[in-house]
Amino acid sequence: VSSPGWAAPSYDVLVIGAGLAGLSAATRLAEGGARVMLIAKGVGATHLAPGTIDVLGYAPSGGERVDRPGEALAAVDASHPYTRVGGADAVAASIDWFKRQFDGGPFGAYGYRGDLRENVLLPTAVGAAKPAAVIPETMAPGDLRDGAPMLVVGFHVLRDFHAAYLADNVARGGVPARALVLERGVDRRPEANSLAVARAFDRPDARREIADDVARGLDSDQPAAARVGFPAALGAEDPHGVWSDLEQRLGRPVFEIPTLPPSVPGMRVFRTLRDRLRSHGGRIVLNSQAVGAERSGARIESVRATAAGREVTYRARWVVLATGGVATGGIELDSRWRARETALGLPLHGVPGPDEPRFGADYFGAHPFNAVGVAVDDGLRPVDGGGARVCDNVLVAGATLAGARPWVEKSGDGLSLSSGHRAAELILEENR
Amino acid sequence: MAATMQTDVLVIGGGATGAGVAWDCALRGFRTILAERRDLGEGTSGRFHGLLHSGGRYAVKDPDAAVECIEENVILRRIAADCIEDTGGLFVTTPDDDPAYGDEFLAGCKRTGVPAEEIDVAEALRREPRLNPGIRRAFTVPDAGIDAWKTVWALANAARDRGARILPYHRVVEVLRDGDAVVGARLHDERRDEDLTVEARFVLNASGAWAGQIAAMAGIEGVEIIPGKGIMIAMNHRLVNTVINRCTMPADGDILVPIRTVSVIGTTDMRIADPDELEVTQAEVDQMLDDGERLVPGFREARALRVWAGVRPLFQDTKAEDTRDVTRAHAVLDHRARDGVNGFVTITGGKLTTLRLMAKDVVDAMCAQLGEERPCRTHEVVLPGSEDHEPYHLGERLAAKEAHLLDEQLVCECELIPRSRLEATMRERATTNLDDIRRSLRLGMGPCQGGFCIYRATGILHGVERLDAPAANASLRDFLQERWKGVWPILYGDQLRQARLDDWIFQGVLDVEHLPA
Repeated sequence: VSSPGWAAPSYDVLVIGAGLAGLSAATRLAEGGARVMLIAKGVGATHLAPGTIDVLGYAPSGGERVDRPGEALAAVDASHPYTRVGGADAVAASIDWFKRQFDGGPFGAYGYRGDLRENVLLPTAVGAAKPAAVIPETMAPGDLRDGAPMLVVGFHVLRDFHAAYLADNVARGGVPARALVLERGVDRRPEANSLAVARAFDRPDARREIADDVARGLDSDQPAAARVGFPAALGAEDPHGVWSDLEQRLGRPVFEIPTLPPSVPGMRVFRTLRDRLRSHGGRIVLNSQAVGAERSGARIESVRATAAGREVTYRARWVVLATGGVATGGIELDSRWRARETALGLPLHGVPGPDEPRFGADYFGAHPFNAVGVAVDDGLRPVDGGGARVCDNVLVAGATLAGARPWVEKSGDGLSLSSGHRAAELILEENR
Repeated sequence: MAATMQTDVLVIGGGATGAGVAWDCALRGFRTILAERRDLGEGTSGRFHGLLHSGGRYAVKDPDAAVECIEENVILRRIAADCIEDTGGLFVTTPDDDPAYGDEFLAGCKRTGVPAEEIDVAEALRREPRLNPGIRRAFTVPDAGIDAWKTVWALANAARDRGARILPYHRVVEVLRDGDAVVGARLHDERRDEDLTVEARFVLNASGAWAGQIAAMAGIEGVEIIPGKGIMIAMNHRLVNTVINRCTMPADGDILVPIRTVSVIGTTDMRIADPDELEVTQAEVDQMLDDGERLVPGFREARALRVWAGVRPLFQDTKAEDTRDVTRAHAVLDHRARDGVNGFVTITGGKLTTLRLMAKDVVDAMCAQLGEERPCRTHEVVLPGSEDHEPYHLGERLAAKEAHLLDEQLVCECELIPRSRLEATMRERATTNLDDIRRSLRLGMGPCQGGFCIYRATGILHGVERLDAPAANASLRDFLQERWKGVWPILYGDQLRQARLDDWIFQGVLDVEHLPA
């Protein structure tokens, strides 16, 4: 072999990144008939995120809570990445598509609910009320807009979910809530994460014992809780079955509340989209990190990626960059305060100058560096500081995009889903 | 109606010096109260690099200080072994340093009694493979790592065992005078928001960089403490296992100290106006990183965890008749002789290594004023926790955890803090402030900077202290803000990535910013 690394076969589209944006782009492209290769350094942010699709929870401008995300989307600033994605219609299309991906997926009847008409308010693991537009069915009965009293069940072994603290804040927010912390172990271990608890719930015997404990807790409760919240760990394999079984055993609605990572609902999203991608003939290779590209004029001809200690060159007509932002390694800042986009070396937008502040002293305040990303045009192509395209066949999706403040706005999942989906649609249109 | 307490001695200041003074007083049989405006060791003592000096650093420049350091080094190893990790120290001549200084250094060490020995560069590099391979000379000295918070608490607990009252979060609002004598102080209990009057036969001012402010409250002018700011950066693991000093005249960024699981580079020296205003500038951070690079190539590629600034109390007596007082490492100000004020002595200057000697000197001065002969015994009485004379060993944490691997959960993986230990400390400290817990257990001080443990600790604190939701929320938010303070000026590389993961958890998953107030 004369090339410096193994040359992989050529693809229609190379997608870089296995978070919600990359998976959505790759799956939609494969569904549309493209030959797709998805490479990623590792599993993506799905395993960190709570598994809800938060489209817009707080206004980008001021911070008031958004109750009707569709209307709020129509009003976002022209510089906001949602405008590049195509606004409310494009977001709505991506949501419809996303919900369909669960039909006949690896989790049977498990699926998502909700749309852009209104946000629900779901309790977080501290008991804050977090707005979300589209949510797993297993979280729906937790909606805090409904004032029905709840019992929140925790497990002493699960360090990443503190039911009493959570319930206290929920009650403080106006919804009667009480906690029940079960002392029972999980696999005789002193500590368990959400995934270990989810696997326990998958086992009928363990589930029955937990339900019996909770039922006893409910009996002693006056007035009785109208619904029961659990850590978002109701089954790693059969969430719909576990959830329905618990509702039946407890005789009232049951719901999941997201925990610290790993996120079991996020893993369900990952597996659903990955399986769907594969069923359409797409390929996915993890542990493969894009480290550079060969260009020819305004096109990228191939992407170099490291895998198992060697370099592989991927040739593709199109590239979708969905490596995420700083948190997932898509953007780096070195100790000499130089920022770069790590996979393709695309220009970054919004990088503070050498003498400008990158971060502020107030943790909850604004931090200039948090908005750094790749700026794109309406074709999701990267642009330079003057707004000119720097690459014709690269589309950018997800948290790599400049200008969003996903944590502040609660918009990360919505932006990833809609931009990934939109990138796929744009490529499919050009090839029609 | 404010409460009143009577005591023999009121010690003002709960740093290493104040705790040492309280211990010395208690050991000499004085009824003692210590008042600290915040938590013990929250000021200068908790903001240094963690170096127990051998004296080598001062062997050429300040021989008196070198002698004090080596004598106290030996004593502290005997009485406070559990607070000390016997890392040993190296002085190395980097390519930027004059090799001839090494001869001066050796001669100075010999004169001052600091055991120093030149070793082959190859041997130094064998011991510390990450050291700059361009070093030209290397000398061993008995430097060590010392855990300031552990030391302060060991001293405070020892004093308490002898009947002393230790009052953290008690701010002095008034120093009480009766004619020409200081007779106590009015304190404000910051946590209960109430005043407490302490009537004392004697007041010892051990407030370090704040000593001038306290003296002024006693009506004594001219105690000028020039706050000297120094910044330090903790790197996420032990780049070296031995204290590394540059073999040159003391300067900035020339010490790298392995302490617990991290290593700390220090420091700078900048005179500032207010000891409570400790800003870290980017230029200082850049300078420290460059200095680190000189000692350990690749330093900038390691993860910088946290930066902080401490403030040295540099004393310059406007009334000094004897210039030796200016050059000495620490200063005892007998205000009867100096200002005609009885019952009040100030101790300031100095360094953590000589805390015991500083305490001895100031309590000796008090005894002289009182005309009482009560000899100091702190050099011979071992502190609680150090009875076995075994120095702290880094592997202890892991060994302790392994013994209970299947019995209990870890709350903080970075610092290996088991839940039972966290709960016990919460009960003992009776605090809602997670930053107090951090100083006791190093909670949240590892590579993830609290990403996982802050939520867990808040949930546990809520249960242990039976907090209501707003109090627990305040604990969580305050700790997040407190952590952020030392993080944001040095965010780059993987540590920036870690910080964003933490944002993801706190804002993306938990939405802590919208907790009910």
